[in-house]
Order: sequence, then structure tokens, then C-alpha cells
Amino acid sequence: MLHLIDELKVIPGVVGACIVNAQTGLQVTNLPAIFKPERLTLVGKHLLKLYSAGCMNFDDLTDITLNYDESVVVARELEKNTLIFAICDPTFNQNLLTMSFNLLHEEFKLGNFTEAGGQGEAKSARTLPPVEREMSGALHSLLAEMKELLSEILGPMAGFVFDEVKDNWVEQGAPDFSRIEELIEQLNQEIDDQDKIDKYRQLISSAIKGFQKG
Amino acid sequence: MATAKDFVGRISQIAGVAGCLLVRDDGLVLDQAVDDIKGYSDLLQTSSGLASDIMTSVGFSHCHYISFNRVNNQTFYVFPIDKYLLGVVQQADCSVAAMLERIFQLIGKVSTSGAKTVA
Repeated sequence: MLHLIDELKVIPGVVGACIVNAQTGLQVTNLPAIFKPERLTLVGKHLLKLYSAGCMNFDDLTDITLNYDESVVVARELEKNTLIFAICDPTFNQNLLTMSFNLLHEEFKLGNFTEAGGQGEAKSARTLPPVEREMSGALHSLLAEMKELLSEILGPMAGFVFDEVKDNWVEQGAPDFSRIEELIEQLNQEIDDQDKIDKYRQLISSAIKGFQKG
Repeated sequence: MATAKDFVGRISQIAGVAGCLLVRDDGLVLDQAVDDIKGYSDLLQTSSGLASDIMTSVGFSHCHYISFNRVNNQTFYVFPIDKYLLGVVQQADCSVAAMLERIFQLIGKVSTSGAKTVA
């Protein structure tokens, strides 16, 4: 499921997306860590109510869009009590997002999404290979932060690049913090610009220090 | 603020607007140029409240508008204007950007601060 919502992030202006179920809460998210899971669950539940209210007036309702000063929230119900929403910059390409929602919705209807394993929080790990599931939650958070920071260096392609490099890194050995420098070195090869490599190192240094401190 | 009737009259004349209504945040319908007033009025209140809850949950600031996008392209818009809510039904085939720009121009021209609403 994660890779499907990751594809939404490729759309210019889309910050990330998540899927929320009214009963089980947050299913999956690729939004930056600043958006806490409990907050996203709350937003998802509000959006589900809003969607239900909309459906009472319009039986052909597709999406709901909420335009705030700094962000736009676009939501679509995938099935009863399950909704996907994306948080975007105001300049995002709405047509492209709507089309991607349509495709994703079709995938969902075809049952190409697996059900959540647990309750109440993001479960991105359930779509990952077994070896990656052995990763600690803290390391997952660190990698998510590194991925987010890479977007400041590589722009919209950062998510793809990071996932590809990370997958290689996981295949090469145990996904452990002791091998983090190998991952950074592989990312540096993709960045391929010394100034940007230095800047990325600077950006991730506090996250790495934070991880080391526990 | 201009009288609600003037305001609704001007909004309903904008190219692309199929209908509109203005309600106070307590649900009082001030004026309308649309059918199914009760249904739209309830939706205006509900959506405004939930948009505000979402705003608080995530830390966003002002909500400019909410849109309910439909298969028939007759999108329904909710514009919070201080203590009032403007609902607009869009025509299926129109220039949405131009319509929204004109609506925001009119919203920008009205003042609601301290004014009594005249229905």
C-alpha cells in the first residue's frame, strides 16, 4: 500500500498522503514526520464525517478539497469508512492528483491493497520485505527523516531515489544503524554533487545525532 | 457589509455560478438563489465546523474554501466569511479559475466587522 501512496508524492506539490479507517485509524502514511499519526487519524475521521455529510447532498460526490492558507487537503472515500487524503502545496496539480486518485481507487476496488495488521497507527512496515520488518522503529523514523531531507537536495525524485538506494542497502546486509554510513555513501553517489552531498550531510547530522542519543 | 440580498445577487450573476446561498453560522439563511435550501444550509454549517476542526488538528491557518467535487462537475463550494458562510453551486461547464477569482474579489470587497446583517 505504501508504494501506491508513494506514487502520489511524485506529483508536483503533493507533500504526502495517508489512508485512514474510521475503526482502525491510520492505515499507512508517507507524510513527513511533523504530521503525527494521532493527528492524521483525527483529520481522517473529520474528513470521513465531512464526506458523509457531502454524500447526503450529492450522490455523485468524488473528492473533497479544503483550501487553507498554506496547504490544500484533498480527500476521497475508497470504501465505506476508509478514506485517502493528500496534503498538498497550494500550487499542486489537481488534475493529476484526481487522475492518480482514480487509478489508486481502482486498485483498491480490485483488492490490490492488503489489509492492516494492527490497530491505530501507521503500518508502513507491513508492505516491506521481511528483512526490513526487522528494522527498529527508531531506525524507520530516522530513514523516513533522511528521505524527507533528501527532497531538499533532489526535489521530487528524492523519494524514488531514496527508496531504491534503501532497498539495495537492505539487500546487502542487516538493516542496522551500524551500516548507516554505507547507506549515506550510496545516496551520495546518487546526489553526485559535492556541494549537495555536503549540504545533505549537514541536514541529516542532527537526525543521526538524535538517533545515537536514543 | 452590503445587504445579504445585494451580495447574493452579485454572486449569482458571476459567470459559472449556477446558484448560491448565504447563511449565518447559526444556520439562519440570509438569502438564497438556489433550491434545497435546508440541505445546503446544513452542509454549510457541518463542513465549516469540520474544516475548522481539521485546521486546529493540523495547525493550518485560514480556510479559504471547501469544495465538494462531483461526477457531474457541478462542484459545490463553501466560503467561510467571518461569521457567515457562502455556498456556491458551480455550473458544469465553466471557467472555474475565473469564477473563483471573481467570487474572491467580491468577498474581498465586503466587510462583516461590526456590521449588522440585513436580510
